[in-house]
Amino acid sequence: MNYLLHILTMINIYAILALSLNLLVGYTGLLSLSHAAFYGIGAYISTLLVMKLGLGFLPALLLAIAGTVLLSFTISLPSLRLRGDYFVLASLGFQIIVFSILYNWVDVTRGPYGIPGIPRPKLLGLDINSIFSYFVFSAIIAAICAGLLYLIGHSPFGRTLKAIRENEIAAAALGKNVTRFKIRAFAIAAGFAAVPGALFAGYLRYIDPTSFTVMESVFILSIIIIGGTGNLTGPLIGTVLMIFLPEALRFLQIPDAIAANMRQIIYGVLIILIMRYQPQGISGEYRFE
Amino acid sequence: MVTQLLANGLIAGCAYALVALGFALIYNTTRTFHFAHGAVYTLAAYLFYTMRNLWSLPLLPAMALTLGLVAIFGILIDEMIYKPLVKRSSSLLIQLLSSLGLYIVIVNFIAMIYGNETKVLSPGVQPTYSLGAVILTQIQVATAVAFAVLFISFFVILRKTRLGKVIRAMRDDPQLISVMGINPLRVRRVVFALGSALAAVAAMLTGLDVGIDPNIGMAAILNGAVAVIIGGVGIFEGAALGALLIGILQSLAVWQASARWQETITFVVLILFLIFRPEGILGTRRRIEEATA
Repeated sequence: MNYLLHILTMINIYAILALSLNLLVGYTGLLSLSHAAFYGIGAYISTLLVMKLGLGFLPALLLAIAGTVLLSFTISLPSLRLRGDYFVLASLGFQIIVFSILYNWVDVTRGPYGIPGIPRPKLLGLDINSIFSYFVFSAIIAAICAGLLYLIGHSPFGRTLKAIRENEIAAAALGKNVTRFKIRAFAIAAGFAAVPGALFAGYLRYIDPTSFTVMESVFILSIIIIGGTGNLTGPLIGTVLMIFLPEALRFLQIPDAIAANMRQIIYGVLIILIMRYQPQGISGEYRFE
Repeated sequence: MVTQLLANGLIAGCAYALVALGFALIYNTTRTFHFAHGAVYTLAAYLFYTMRNLWSLPLLPAMALTLGLVAIFGILIDEMIYKPLVKRSSSLLIQLLSSLGLYIVIVNFIAMIYGNETKVLSPGVQPTYSLGAVILTQIQVATAVAFAVLFISFFVILRKTRLGKVIRAMRDDPQLISVMGINPLRVRRVVFALGSALAAVAAMLTGLDVGIDPNIGMAAILNGAVAVIIGGVGIFEGAALGALLIGILQSLAVWQASARWQETITFVVLILFLIFRPEGILGTRRRIEEATA
């Protein structure tokens, strides 16, 4: 039972990551390889605020969101007015720089040693301590995020993003400042990524930089590519599938030494096949055209 | 001290430049962001390791065999992954994502077979040469020579031969060359073979110098791609120039800070270029509508 609750909690965490990246990839047509970096920044900022300054979970979370939004401008301002390829490369670069800082700035982040003993959140006088309560807590937060992202996606703002995705020049001709919309979409996606960061840290009670690598960014991206982008169902189906997949592999008794590589190979093959035969994924609407 | 660092950086830059030239050859002509170029690099290093250290082949046959196999592998990637996408006129985004998927598959296969630990290709102390205050190892000298020879041949081919003319035409307008009666799908084959072979040269030389692990391709493709952009997209000389610049700056960063920040330097340079000179060192400013998508 606890095993199932653990998986469901991870699904809640990854659902927020997938849905927020979807705003960028599926709505705006921008490919980002830096989502794990924002996830990590959110985890580290909120953890450090809780542990060093004794802030509560919510204030720390809000400041973490503010921090990721601000940091998102360091890549979006220079690269989003340029070609799409440049943005992909710049986002990948940001991901690598963030990992490098988390790993090497030992005085603040404790580098490879990680931060142990993170307290479980307390909200409205309630201790969220058991696995079950954490599952409920993460489900509520995930539902709030999904609701907000749904509203954003269906607002005039979201429709403009889709217009930019479909035809950038036409959107610009209709008086939309394309670059400004992209920068905002990126900032929103980054801000939302901080939420699962704080959830993850409070759940595992330990973080280290290896949870926020390039491969993690690729994993989040593959969730939404396989599930599909441009609506809410695609990323959600992708999340459930991709979190359950490794658990299913566990029952196939693949030796541990190659299990991690095996998983990555499956993700890679799935991406290639989806891109060739069904670019909208299992249940998405955007075909990357 | 500073001259030694500059020399080291310049030679590291020579290896980056070979990767960058290969990447530029493919990117400038086909417009495909060939991320799997990094996996080709890793594969070349491991093929060479297998032939040299596991099968004990002599140096030159091992190099020649690696180059040939990697060139064929480059063609196979294009035939099996990119061409089917090009034929159904899939977007460049789809090609980029497929390339990323392919990178993951190849690198994890290699890690599964050989393990994740670093392999040493040439044990023992290398013989060195000294040029004034600068001391270079045999492999460093070989890297510089290989770069010089390949760089010159690259531009002789590009400027003086029919193939070079076709490549330049394809860079300027991929659609137009089919009007001229040249089959662009055949040019792709040449471009992927040559580009992959260039990466293989860099992989073998760098592998001999510092050893190999399954993740070396990531740094290689990043340095290569950033070099192409800061040098100026579409300009082959720019790719080499950008790579040398990155090599030198990384080497100076080791001196001022620490080797851990090398990759950070690459991207700080990229971001600075994107802000202040997005057209690259040798590029000319173009409006976004004119830029090839």
